[in-house]
Amino acid sequence: MVPALDLFLQTLLNGLLIGGVIATFTIGFQLAFGVLHVIDFAVGGWVVLGGYLGYYMAAGLGVDGFLAIPVAFVLFGAIGYLIGPILYNVRNSRTARPELMALALTFGLFTLLRGGMLTAWGFNTHSVPTALSGESLAVGPVTVPLIRVAAAVFAIAIAGGLFLFLYRTRYGLAIRATAENRQNAALMGVNIRRLSANVYGLYAGITAMAGVLMGAIFSVNPEVGLRYTLFAFFVAVLAGLGSVGGALVAALLLGVIEAFVATYVGSSYSLLAIFATLFLVLLLSPSGILRHGL
Amino acid sequence: MSTNSKGFSRRWVLGGSAVAFAAGPLGMPFVRTAHAQVATYKAGVITSLSGENILGGNLTKRGYDLWAAAINAKGGVEVAGERFKVDMFYGDDQSNPATGADAAERLIVQNEVDVLFGPYTSGSTIAVQPICQKYQVPMISGSAESPNVWKAKPEFNFGIIPAVDTTAGKSLAVLAKLSNPTAKTIAVIGVNEPFSKETGEGFRDGAKEAGLEVVAYELVPASGDLTPVISKIAALNPDIVAVGGHEEPLINVVKTSKSLNFRPKALIMHYGVTDPAFAEALAADADGTCGVSVWLPSVPYKDDVFGTAREFAEMAQKKSGHEPDYTEAACAASGLVFGDAVKRLGKKPALTPEDRVALKDAIAETDIQTFYGPIKFEKEGNHYHDNVQPVPVLIQIQSGKTVAVGPKEAASANLTYPLPAWK
Repeated sequence: MVPALDLFLQTLLNGLLIGGVIATFTIGFQLAFGVLHVIDFAVGGWVVLGGYLGYYMAAGLGVDGFLAIPVAFVLFGAIGYLIGPILYNVRNSRTARPELMALALTFGLFTLLRGGMLTAWGFNTHSVPTALSGESLAVGPVTVPLIRVAAAVFAIAIAGGLFLFLYRTRYGLAIRATAENRQNAALMGVNIRRLSANVYGLYAGITAMAGVLMGAIFSVNPEVGLRYTLFAFFVAVLAGLGSVGGALVAALLLGVIEAFVATYVGSSYSLLAIFATLFLVLLLSPSGILRHGL
Repeated sequence: MSTNSKGFSRRWVLGGSAVAFAAGPLGMPFVRTAHAQVATYKAGVITSLSGENILGGNLTKRGYDLWAAAINAKGGVEVAGERFKVDMFYGDDQSNPATGADAAERLIVQNEVDVLFGPYTSGSTIAVQPICQKYQVPMISGSAESPNVWKAKPEFNFGIIPAVDTTAGKSLAVLAKLSNPTAKTIAVIGVNEPFSKETGEGFRDGAKEAGLEVVAYELVPASGDLTPVISKIAALNPDIVAVGGHEEPLINVVKTSKSLNFRPKALIMHYGVTDPAFAEALAADADGTCGVSVWLPSVPYKDDVFGTAREFAEMAQKKSGHEPDYTEAACAASGLVFGDAVKRLGKKPALTPEDRVALKDAIAETDIQTFYGPIKFEKEGNHYHDNVQPVPVLIQIQSGKTVAVGPKEAASANLTYPLPAWK
């Protein structure tokens, strides 16, 4: 095999894997938007909190970072469940422009999380050690980083699990009904308030789980959250706000574009390419690439 | 609750607020008078106390504060036979140059500082320079290393650390000379922001002088994924990979390289490697990484305020729990420059606008020996007002510790080259 083809295959793999990595923290974000109709700026905060949990569990208890994943789901899921009703109240208040008030609330929550982490844990950059960190597998000419494979598998599993939950269970039906028309769902007996709390808890839990993986792949400090918030927003816009399946497709697309542009054009053009794609999709298909919500 | 009680409550709150607002300005003169009784020099620190450069920002703050603590413990700066303590004021640039300029203006106009101590990043330093010029207030920068800071010929800004274009290339030449078998090729990565990009350029230009062939020169966005660029470089298999960046991208370069099972014969970075957080975050994977330092606790310099370099390191370690790196040392040395200049100037606090201009001229004439090394500012050329006296030392992380490996006269250990495969 010629080296040029090797590099092409490696680039394709890199793109798909980073897409999978981005998808991990975007799926929950989409779910929360679909139901609560809130663009949650705090998404990056939940990612970083998950990363810190992984770091402190590994450093303090000496356990593998992966063990923090279920703990992150339970812990931050519970915290999200408590925050959900507050967000619901703001989003459905009778003030003018409640959607902007909710946006401001999540922005405030993000700032609070960032400042809190900074005060509590300082500004040093940490890493989450796992059994797969730094491990790779040589498949022919291509090197497969196993931690990224784990993240991509996690994203697919979460997307698949959510799909089954949303389309094969009664509660999933209630969530979809609420996403489609809140008033009708309420008239059918759905407790919208409790459902919103559950969905926000589910989203916070999923996102914090993704954060453990982000801390293992990259590194974690209180300042990296904004980056994840922006990426989640890019992917969500590309996918169509609220589309869970679209998030996976859009993340993979952005990952592949970033990888190919960085390898064959230059890394300094990768963000330009991402913005150009976003612009083009908004121009040609304003409702996103899959053109439907939950 | 009745309407009356609501009305009373609102009036009570409004009235209370009005009293509180009125009491503020009324109370202020008393506070000022209390301060005015003890004359102090006012120093303003602008640095990144939040945002992505918070780690480095706090490091610079620690350095400046160490000097303030040390000089105040001695009774203050000695001027005309009297000692005057130093009051520190802080401005947060939030890792954003424009905010840094605002913070500098606030420190000058509201806090009426006599001198500024410069930001952690070169970007903020460049943004603050016009403010110093506008208000004619001198600034001593203990961190900025971008050559662009000095190419602009800033009249009121002075740099303690030599610009990266003078240190990166020299250190690379030392590495190339020490490599056995001799390194022939190099790939350079620079994060696309002022300091990191110019560090990359320093490595790229220095490579040519060191007789290395540059097989790739890549600028990467600070927030981008590094897998594509590392894959591309791995395919070219260079002997040396050189990286210009701050802490987080440096950590991610090592992690990404390992995840792709790529290890060059040598990996050299500039700033950040000497920060203990780097080795802590990467654990054993940090071993073998080379860096550049213009100061180490083992250098043979001393002064009257801090004592020897080793004594300074012990003082810093006691305060923060970490061994100081060269930026922290240079920031502490910035205070020594101020102390020396104001002593020569012979002006007691508070300085008048004319005194500040004279202070700038006095700083320009600095020629002192400190625990950090010799400090003397260039008077012309591309490094105008930068202190290019210190000689860079090539360091390497070995068994979690930072050791000097070159040039030979400064080395305390042998360079590990080529690096072994990842464990």
